[in-house]
Amino acid sequence: MKINVMTDILEANDRIAVDNSKVFDKHRNLVLNLMSSPGAGKTTLLEKTGEALKGKLRLGVIAGDIETTRDAERLRKYKLPVVQLTTGSACHLDANMITYALPHIDLKKIDILVIENVGNLVCPAEFKLGEDYKIMMLSVTEGDEKPLKYPLMFRESSLLLINKIDLLKYTNFNLKEAKANARRVNPDLDIIDISCTTGEGIPDWTSWLNQRYQKKFGTKARA
Amino acid sequence: MAIARNIVNIAIAAAEKEGAKRITKVNVVAGELRGIIPAQLIFCFGLMAENTIASGAYLDLEITPVMGKCRKCDEPFMVKDYRYVCPKCQGEDIQTLSGTELRVKDIEVE
Repeated sequence: MKINVMTDILEANDRIAVDNSKVFDKHRNLVLNLMSSPGAGKTTLLEKTGEALKGKLRLGVIAGDIETTRDAERLRKYKLPVVQLTTGSACHLDANMITYALPHIDLKKIDILVIENVGNLVCPAEFKLGEDYKIMMLSVTEGDEKPLKYPLMFRESSLLLINKIDLLKYTNFNLKEAKANARRVNPDLDIIDISCTTGEGIPDWTSWLNQRYQKKFGTKARA
Repeated sequence: MAIARNIVNIAIAAAEKEGAKRITKVNVVAGELRGIIPAQLIFCFGLMAENTIASGAYLDLEITPVMGKCRKCDEPFMVKDYRYVCPKCQGEDIQTLSGTELRVKDIEVE
């Protein structure tokens, strides 16, 4: 006997993600799902971002890691509200894990919440968390062909940060090719070159954050 | 792995609703953009199905191609090699029609 099912495999996750996004909207949080390979520089970016936004927008972080709380410890030094999720063996965060993290972070004190996903270019793209935007970080020490190898992630992202741009001259990374490949997969993708070491591009990144925040909540400062 | 677990759970829920004793086959539709590796998913599915009514069930994966439609000239076309460019008017504003789906289509039970 055949039984018709037609159930979306990630439907349960997507439903929870919608619930999460309602909580974020209520607290006036702009929420970003930050994805990259391991070692691309996500945590360093967040350290720099917290400093650059000081006095303007308040940053908060949910950090996902397979093991250890090192990322969270690094960020706490900057007095950022951080909650660490250790996923055990899971290679990505899902909406349910975010729901569990919410009571541990004071959303009222946050304007921009970055969810630092587990370093992985495959699975995180599949699972919505309740974010407004997905952001991808690619470093020049990886390969310029990455967008074609992991198309879903680049297709789903709104912004691509190309990090470690100060190291470009020491690598065979073809910046033009990388951007062309990324735009081939996603013509609407914004791309910013940055270096967390020299600070290059960080103002462009924070102004992108500002624009998106104002787009979601208007120009009025929060009450 | 999470996808395999969800497939098993969805299949079991559907089978139990109909009072079925055993699941023999699960048909899944996966869009090409999902980047599913069939051998890997089939292996994980087998593991997840162990000791359930889906144990030993055959997982059939239908990979659907990426189809796009140009927002400028309405031309539908197959997106090859992730080239999101309209073959008719070279427009780059492309709506993805298919290729991202991921669902359990139907199951066969005893």
